[in-house]
Amino acid sequence: MLASIPSAVLFGAEGHRVTVEVHVGAGLPAFNIVGLPDESIREARDRVRAAVMSSGRQWPSQKITVNLAPSQHRKTGSGLDLAIALGVLVASGVVTAESVAGLAFIGELGLDGSLRAVPGVAPMVGVLGELDVVVPVDSGVEAHVAAMGRVRLVRDLVELVEVLGSERPWTDHEPPAVPRARPVVPDLADVHGQQTARAALEIAAAGSHHSLFIGPPGSGKTMLASRLPGLLPPLDRERSLAVTMVHSAAGVGLPPEGLVVTPPFRAPHHTASMVALVGGGSGSLRPGEISLAHCGVLFMDELAEFAPQVLDGLRQPLEEGVVRVARANVHAALPAAFLLVAAMNPCPCGGGPPGACQCGEARISRYTGRVSGPLFDRFDLRVSVHRPAVDEFLDVRPEEPTAVVAARVAAARELAIGRQGVLNAAIAAPQLDEVAPIDAAARALLRGEMENDRLTGRGYHRVRRVARTIADLRSPPTEVVGAEDVATALRLRAPLAPARRWGRAA
Amino acid sequence: MSDDLPAEAYVAALSGFDRMTSARLRGLLARHDPAEAFDIASGRAAAPPPLAAIFERWPDLAAAWRRDGERRRPRRCWEECAALGVDIVMATDDRFPPQLAGDPACPPALFARGDLTVLDARRVGVVGTRNSTQQGNATAARFGYELAAAGVVVVSGLARGIDGAAHRGALAADAAAPAAVVGNGLDVPYPRRNAELWEQVAARGVIVSEWPPGTSPDAFRFPLRNRILAALSEVLVVVESRERGGSLITAREAAARGIGVFAVPGSVRSRASAGANELLRDGAAPALDSGDLLIALGLDHRRANRSRFDPRPRPRGDDAAVLEACRAEPLTVDGLAARFDLSIGQVAMVIARLERDGWLVDSGGWFEAVESGSDRA
Repeated sequence: MLASIPSAVLFGAEGHRVTVEVHVGAGLPAFNIVGLPDESIREARDRVRAAVMSSGRQWPSQKITVNLAPSQHRKTGSGLDLAIALGVLVASGVVTAESVAGLAFIGELGLDGSLRAVPGVAPMVGVLGELDVVVPVDSGVEAHVAAMGRVRLVRDLVELVEVLGSERPWTDHEPPAVPRARPVVPDLADVHGQQTARAALEIAAAGSHHSLFIGPPGSGKTMLASRLPGLLPPLDRERSLAVTMVHSAAGVGLPPEGLVVTPPFRAPHHTASMVALVGGGSGSLRPGEISLAHCGVLFMDELAEFAPQVLDGLRQPLEEGVVRVARANVHAALPAAFLLVAAMNPCPCGGGPPGACQCGEARISRYTGRVSGPLFDRFDLRVSVHRPAVDEFLDVRPEEPTAVVAARVAAARELAIGRQGVLNAAIAAPQLDEVAPIDAAARALLRGEMENDRLTGRGYHRVRRVARTIADLRSPPTEVVGAEDVATALRLRAPLAPARRWGRAA
Repeated sequence: MSDDLPAEAYVAALSGFDRMTSARLRGLLARHDPAEAFDIASGRAAAPPPLAAIFERWPDLAAAWRRDGERRRPRRCWEECAALGVDIVMATDDRFPPQLAGDPACPPALFARGDLTVLDARRVGVVGTRNSTQQGNATAARFGYELAAAGVVVVSGLARGIDGAAHRGALAADAAAPAAVVGNGLDVPYPRRNAELWEQVAARGVIVSEWPPGTSPDAFRFPLRNRILAALSEVLVVVESRERGGSLITAREAAARGIGVFAVPGSVRSRASAGANELLRDGAAPALDSGDLLIALGLDHRRANRSRFDPRPRPRGDDAAVLEACRAEPLTVDGLAARFDLSIGQVAMVIARLERDGWLVDSGGWFEAVESGSDRA
């Protein structure tokens, strides 16, 4: 007999619909899976067989052939276990074909017949259209996010077969309580002093400008960067869905309400590999940290300690907002539109006031050279951070809390979207004069900087975009960008290190 | 071994031998003529007892010298020096700087580019840290300028930081010639960023080294170089130095030779001045301007204090106050904003104007005042 069960697999952050066809017929007892399964699917044979037998059902001693259609794509993951098991049960007559009509199945089977969650249920459910989906209880939250039909939660194979045999109704399982994965974002009110860095955070959030904090250890770079996500507005429905899909695909725990609504904050360690950061791997092309930071913040502490090729891998996604990962048989475009915030020391010893650094020139350039020029150029804001003076540190006057700054940021972002449809960091160079006009004094200031070789052509455009954001943050916002806005933007372009101090500024 | 080669050729070859200290070379040359010394050192002739004992104690030294004897052919070394325009001056030579000839740690030979007679003039050593501040560079450059203008030869090490700044200042005066003592061979400028300065000093003054061309700038050579620098100075001034900087070695070498040591006082909180301040506590004389040094040389210093024309527009109001504050100590944007109760934007404007007019410079987020016409390296 023949059975055909709809299910889905995951490539990158996208679900792909797969029809599991099962044929049980005469022949020597065997169990084969065809249709380009990978090793994890081939292992399903043993799991499915044990699970069916543990559930008290006869395993047919016939020749069983499973085909995963469309068969030209390589498939991976254990999420097809349940569909294969159902196919065998239908084809061997345990379950009727009518009872599974209009249902799709996703889930991994344990040897005892229990159902286990798999990563990527949200995008997989998303491609199953109007079908009702049967998923493990643990995947309930993810399935609800994307489902267009009904979501049926099942604990194990015994229960499922009983329901399909009309021996009992569907049970309304409570999805398990998920502990809140992300800690609450720390508040800006805790940061004393650091006026320049605070301003830089606000500008970065308002204009979506990639930022690099340069300063000695203990100057508060990490403390500042971790407060940036709190300044970003909550995700809208469309972005929220996109982020949720990626997080589901990567197997990162979703918040209890299902949708990810706060901008994600990812802080990979500097030993992260290329695959961990950019995504990929040989199987399902798992999303990397940059995709997990989609619509949020990617914080790279100790930027110069990352492997140089890993850093170079960031350039294309920074440019395009997606990362294209290709392997021999599969390729995927993973979303990766993130705000990059990085921190590094000015030199290996940490630096400090002039005369404090003890590093030789060669050592400094070896250190700073790890951050390539093109990557360094991508940072609109490069902020020198210093250890706060004792007076600033012990100051008891309350600092501005995150909520107040976030309100200004939201207003500035709205203003920018209303004016040019994109955030300020994305203004095209030819459009600058139209949407970010500057007055004569500001123009003279920029001309002087360029004549003194402190500003290149590319830097010029970046300064103007940042200055636009600074003007947008004024109250009330000014339409024409003034000299003070430009001067502030210029101040937020620290050279990489004393070694380059007298070289050509970028 | 051809006999038509001059003694200098053998000395040039010998001084490039592995672990060839000036004491060993001096010992060899005291007992043998140069050609014979070369043969003995490279194992072609039997070593006399003192050297034989050394060879016995360090067999690897004997092997290394045998290898060096093959590698460093006197004729090639001689021709190489001639091709590079490097003079080899033996301690017995009339041209050898007399102030060095009487020194207990005198090198047996010097390699020189330029005119050694410039060392006949009055000489002041100006040394300091490589990791200097802008202010330190400015001070060194001003001392260099004013000393040279007063006809005094500035002796320094051509290193990054204070040394280079002193030489730049001296060259800018376009008066007395500069002199440099370096710790590597004269064929390759070190550090490379000072290559142009190196050539100018060689063209207008003199560069000397106790090592032959091809010698790399190894760390151990610099303290040795410093003793020559000290010995060639009549007065030594340390502009900025760390608590254990190489300039302190120069100061110690100078003090051991009875040469007056001066130090430029710095903030007690500046690491770059820690060593110089330490010297002052130990009894070095303070050098506040080049006049102090000229007086020590017994020269009329009044001409040196002419104020020079400064083309930069004078800052006013907030700008002047900010500049004054940065003159006292380097400050950050946050520090300036807090001190003058200005917004970040206002501080940025002030800095933009001062930077445009050349009054301030950004050192990794710290703003330092720049002295008039000063050195920027």
